[in-house]
Amino acid sequence: MNGFAEMIIKTEDIIVKTIARILIPFIQLFSLYVIMHGHYSPGGGFQGGVIMGASLVLLFLTHGYEESKERMSEKAAILFSSTGVLIYSGIGLLCLLLLGNYLDYGRLSLILNVDLAHARSLGILGVEIGVGFAVMAVMFSIFLDISTGGIEPGEEKKNEKASTR
Amino acid sequence: MEVTLLIQATDDAFQVMEKAKMQAVGILDTATRLTSETRTIQERKLKAIFKGAHESQSGFLNFVATFAILIIFWAVLSGKFDAFHMTLGILCSLVIAWLSHDLLFANVRIGDIRVIVQRFLIYIPWHLYQIFLSNFHVAYLALSPRMPIQPEIIRFKTKLESDISWVAFANSITLTPGTVTVDIEGNEFVVHALSKKVADDLNAGEMEDRIAHIFMEADHIYIQDVLDVSRIFSALK
Amino acid sequence: MDYFFAAVGLCLCMLVLLALYRVVFGPGIFNRVAAISAIGTKTLVILLIFGLLYQRIDMFIDISMVYALLNFIGCVAAAKYLESRQE
Repeated sequence: MNGFAEMIIKTEDIIVKTIARILIPFIQLFSLYVIMHGHYSPGGGFQGGVIMGASLVLLFLTHGYEESKERMSEKAAILFSSTGVLIYSGIGLLCLLLLGNYLDYGRLSLILNVDLAHARSLGILGVEIGVGFAVMAVMFSIFLDISTGGIEPGEEKKNEKASTR
Repeated sequence: MEVTLLIQATDDAFQVMEKAKMQAVGILDTATRLTSETRTIQERKLKAIFKGAHESQSGFLNFVATFAILIIFWAVLSGKFDAFHMTLGILCSLVIAWLSHDLLFANVRIGDIRVIVQRFLIYIPWHLYQIFLSNFHVAYLALSPRMPIQPEIIRFKTKLESDISWVAFANSITLTPGTVTVDIEGNEFVVHALSKKVADDLNAGEMEDRIAHIFMEADHIYIQDVLDVSRIFSALK
Repeated sequence: MDYFFAAVGLCLCMLVLLALYRVVFGPGIFNRVAAISAIGTKTLVILLIFGLLYQRIDMFIDISMVYALLNFIGCVAAAKYLESRQE
């Protein structure tokens, strides 16, 4: 399926390209809105992460591999997913260090100087942000692996030349 | 006596025509220079469009404008205006504006934004009226028992110059029932039309004129008219 | 007023059934992709009508916007894939 990524680089489609480049900042802002307002309207961490990953997929489909590599390369995707898990378990560990249970957000009120309910709300928000990072990176990484077959579009010509020699 | 007067009048007339010919040659020179300038500007714009979002000048202004638009969008989406949510909104808008600030304003336009927005708001009711009329025509075509459609594909070159006006024109064609934009190849629109009446309405070019009027494009000196005038004068001499 | 919205919702459901015929029997893949995109458009209006009937319209607007977005991206992805398969 390497022809898929190659074909996206070759074809020039003005209409979809222009509409995608105007819409993508709004889609990304909407995904952050869904993450932040998880306590009030349908949403939360996972849903916001999926929408952000979908915006990166749209960028890859319309503008090609180079544009999306500038914003999130494969190495950055791996870093982001690990960072998301680090934030999640980091908050849990912080609550453990403050002599509470694991992920007991009430203990965070000792650091943040707010009352108990606000501390719990902020703890949940932090955890959702971590989940959002991880989901966005993993969605884009899976899409890249399936569509390019693990070989970057510039490299497969070098591999073919090396193998036929 | 009359012959002298006639010769005098003819001499005067020839002098007037000589002066007019000089002026026409001057106008021709200016027009040629302007047309070659517009042609180079047009080629440069086309090249910039096909290169995509890489060419963007004044990155900081793009960043601030994107930040402002995103803040307004956040305020519309989330109806809460207390300090915590507004701080979250400003932070999120900063992050997204830093990530994608060269996407929204990629091709710098020649033209005043306020005038373009005002003319666009005036264009929308006319377009809605066209959709309303076309609905009746397509419903008549679809519901009559022998279905007199003549589907054909039309190609025409367009006089619009920037990618946003191409996209606006293509979307207007697709939104009107009876026509669908299939592709844009280089400078040429490929449109599928359902019947002869719809194709004639499209070829008359009224929608294209209105969209060129919105984005303040395609208002140059037309070289062909000046060439015709000069040819007439040289034939009269 | 509720009865009016419910009647509009029922008419849209019948239009969805008409498009479903093309999804099942459409000769070829392109008919099916176009019909699914059309069904997505009508589903989003039906979601908003549900919101009006339950009087929690602010919640359902978020859901409809997400569904419209995913419909658009799915249509673009399917079209690009089918174009690459034809070569």
